[in-house]
Amino acid sequence: MAVLATLESDTRAAARGWSDLTIRNAFILPTIAFLVIFNIFPLLYSLGFSFTQYRVSLNQPAEFIGLKNYSDLLSDPGIWQNFTITAQYVIVSVGGQMIVGFGLALLLNRSFPFKGLVTTLLLLPMMLSMAVVGLFWKLLYDPSWGPINYVLGLGKFEWLTHPTNALFAVAITDIWMWSPFVMLLSLAGLSAIPKHLYEAAAIDRASSWYTFRRITLPLVAPLLLIALIFRTMEAFKAFDLPFIMSTANVETVAIALYQMAFQGWDTGRASALAYIVLIVVLCITNIYVKYLNKIKER
Amino acid sequence: MRKHTKAALAGFGLMLASGTTVLAQELTIFWAEWDPANYLQELVNEYTAETGVTVTVETTPWSDFQTKTFAELNARGSAYDMVVGDSQWLGAASTAGHYVDLTDFIEEHGVDETFVPATLQYYSQYDGKYWSIPAEGDANGWAYRKDWFEDPAEMEAFKAEYGYDLGVPETFEQLVDIAEFFTRPEENRYGVALYTQTSYDAMAMGLEQTIFTYGGDLGNYETREVEGILNSEQNVEALKTYRELYTYTPPNWSQAFFVENNQAFTEGLVAMSMNYFAFFPALANEATNPHAANTGYFANPPGPNGDQHAALGGQGISIISYSQNQEESLKFLEWFIQEDVQERWAELGGYTCHAGVLNSEEFLNATPYNRAFAASMEIVKDFWAVPVFADLLFQMNDALHPYITTGEGDPKAALDALAAQWEETLGTS
Amino acid sequence: MAAVTSRAQQFGRPIAIIAIIAVTLLFLSPIYWIASTAFKPRDVATSVPPTVIFEPEITPFIKLFTKRVGLREPPTEEAYEAAPWWEQAVLDTGERILRVGEDVQLSQYPNRFANSLIVSVISTILAVSMGTITAYGFSRFKIKGEGDLLFFILSTRMLPPVVVAIPMFLMYRQFGLTDTHLGLIILYTAFNLSFSVWLMKGFIDEIPKEYEEAALIDGYTRMQAFFKIVLPEAATGIAATAVFCFITAWNEYAFALIMTNRRAQTAPPFIPSQMGSGLPEWTVIAAGTVLFLLPVAIFTFLLRNHLLRGVTFGAIRK
Repeated sequence: MAVLATLESDTRAAARGWSDLTIRNAFILPTIAFLVIFNIFPLLYSLGFSFTQYRVSLNQPAEFIGLKNYSDLLSDPGIWQNFTITAQYVIVSVGGQMIVGFGLALLLNRSFPFKGLVTTLLLLPMMLSMAVVGLFWKLLYDPSWGPINYVLGLGKFEWLTHPTNALFAVAITDIWMWSPFVMLLSLAGLSAIPKHLYEAAAIDRASSWYTFRRITLPLVAPLLLIALIFRTMEAFKAFDLPFIMSTANVETVAIALYQMAFQGWDTGRASALAYIVLIVVLCITNIYVKYLNKIKER
Repeated sequence: MRKHTKAALAGFGLMLASGTTVLAQELTIFWAEWDPANYLQELVNEYTAETGVTVTVETTPWSDFQTKTFAELNARGSAYDMVVGDSQWLGAASTAGHYVDLTDFIEEHGVDETFVPATLQYYSQYDGKYWSIPAEGDANGWAYRKDWFEDPAEMEAFKAEYGYDLGVPETFEQLVDIAEFFTRPEENRYGVALYTQTSYDAMAMGLEQTIFTYGGDLGNYETREVEGILNSEQNVEALKTYRELYTYTPPNWSQAFFVENNQAFTEGLVAMSMNYFAFFPALANEATNPHAANTGYFANPPGPNGDQHAALGGQGISIISYSQNQEESLKFLEWFIQEDVQERWAELGGYTCHAGVLNSEEFLNATPYNRAFAASMEIVKDFWAVPVFADLLFQMNDALHPYITTGEGDPKAALDALAAQWEETLGTS
Repeated sequence: MAAVTSRAQQFGRPIAIIAIIAVTLLFLSPIYWIASTAFKPRDVATSVPPTVIFEPEITPFIKLFTKRVGLREPPTEEAYEAAPWWEQAVLDTGERILRVGEDVQLSQYPNRFANSLIVSVISTILAVSMGTITAYGFSRFKIKGEGDLLFFILSTRMLPPVVVAIPMFLMYRQFGLTDTHLGLIILYTAFNLSFSVWLMKGFIDEIPKEYEEAALIDGYTRMQAFFKIVLPEAATGIAATAVFCFITAWNEYAFALIMTNRRAQTAPPFIPSQMGSGLPEWTVIAAGTVLFLLPVAIFTFLLRNHLLRGVTFGAIRK
């Protein structure tokens, strides 16, 4: 926090009450300290474990084994498989949410009766607990006693127990649950677009496609990107939904990690995997944020 | 944590030294969420009435039970005084010092003479010591549709096709035949419901039962040898048979456990359903199973060489080392092991492991499934109870689930690979 | 929000309204299905074809609040007659309610629900207030390495919860925070803090600096200016942030499961646990879900206007 100690105050410090320096530190430092204690400290803790053979469940001291956990994990095809599945899941589910969510926002971006109520109703899916959503969608999908196959006339079509369908089935549930989030952010962006731009386009007799591509999309882009960042981060962490709905067929990294850490209690190895995941997510997000800053600079 | 132990010991010593009996008025027992836990709550309510000590049975869903228990134990938490824990946990929980050693207690109170020896061996014993009191006996058995089995038209068709009478299977091969016979997707009828779920031990329990039945083993539990035992001829046969049975399950059956198997039955989908006896009350209940009156039960039939085995379920009750009410917990166990309490336990619906109660005519006739249950308890066998049992489970799931559900790959090669992996995990070689 | 008046959109208005209705119904159908399941008799919940018309009953709610056990034999007629109507309803489904002496034993649901309220409300207040002042700090003062600090704050949200679960778990064990309300409150605050800072910074950036400067000239201290000028202006943003934080804390499952037991556990791990007798109690799970959805739905509905306007403010930055 040495950064904060060197203040260059360009705001005239108020003579009365706290100085700006005090206020700034009092406002920022607690949050930084809190996040350091509850994020950085545990991370250092597990960094240590990741170089050891250690099981928290046994009464044996940790044994230093260097990079063995990392090399074991990186040469384990099972883990690569987990990463591949996670990547596929992120693409299908976040892609779907962006399309559906943005589509909904385009549809709702007009005045109509009961708009506030309809918007709140559309937000209901994301207010539910993931665990419950997973359980009920599992029941909805069931070919023997669930309504989906009956309503769609799919007979005994297998959703969750089929190796490839399962990923799409879980992603559909995730899309249903989180498209409203994208919708909300997009709606905010859409409603902030100055109306005169559309009026000008109408005078020029621009096609609606042209208006959409040249006016709507660029102006909503920063917001869509924020939605994209948060949804990608969440989808990459996907645990509850795939775990409850189809552990075997949609075994994401988070599930593999959970099983290693809290079912096998292989603490050392799980810590190493946690670090690999952390590095991957950091890289992805970094790219996004850079891109976001670029868009905002335009 | 040494500090914790010390503090606990100091506190304990102080308590004893002061001479006053500062005993807890509240005890907590942790178990999974199912009917036996509710029966236990009813039973312990009577203890409360007798002694004034409140006993609460806390539960969590089966899918989280192992994680939750070990999270608490590894945290050296004192939220629970006792846990009714799975038999496979004994190794992990006892070597880590989570459970209180009950060897003296068991010998002092003659539990080793009054309880069924097999239950003590599997639910309580590890490394020559006792760590629990057998609480809920359980084994994997079968439920079947009596009305389908006894339908004259079906019986005739079956005899014509297989050359013997349709009835409760006397051998495992007959069970496979019957499953094949009743598999008619066009009528929305299937032969059998199996355990196949891989999130914990479901698939392993169903498969190990078949392996034991075919005369095989999962390894030598003493020497930890696996090579040549897990990948034996019998086990390859058993694995192939389990795969064949899988083809007679309803669609969507690659992740099934007790809930799915019971539901397949109540929905009238299957002729036979594998399940632990503790889950059968739901099938005998008219309100939850429309076919209750037409439901029969049988113990797992013998394999080709006459070996008859059932996968062990059930749990023993252990005292947690970090509990601050160990003295009071011991008193509770003293009460629990009495014959009349065990009788009451059985009456309420618990599967007692008390030999006298278990073999009484009264118990055997109490429900339609108790007789099959008592027979199964004679033939139980269990999975590894070593500290790394969870790794063994997951390795087994990964290695064998694909073959069982798709039939692709070579069963022998899958078992060979698993044997090598297990030996490495067990540190055998 | 005024309608965007392009000709194409005006022309498509009736079609758009129909589409809105259709989409809303489609999105709500799973919710309707869960909600209706909460009032269904047990066998109707899994019937195929799905039963649309049925006689609604509140038995699932009675079951949700009581500790029950499967009947092993039908109740005697006298016992059935002697039971109050709500107990008869449960007996009809093949279960009976446990009693200690004469007293009905309640389930864990009310207790867990209360824990959820305590933990979610306090952690939301903490996350939003800390997020607001921090966002103000970042927005109004020059800070070296601001971008890096903000990215650090964001990065704390990127970790899959399981990544931090192991060390957190070990840390909690040492500090005795497992199974305490405080433990969960700290966790959820840490979870939501990054989101709160990012969202609030957007809102506060939108409030013109000149407002405060004028106040400072008028003799306000910086703190007074913050409380009297900035906070009221940021109210919409605070409301929107609070909704998101509350939803996250309210529904968190994995940490609640691992870090808490009987004393502090929240409702999400409890609701799916109704698999008791070896058959899933869909109706009871649905009843628990519907009740649990109510607080967060009402909260969101009350703040709906803030939510729509709020996000507008926060998201569009220069």
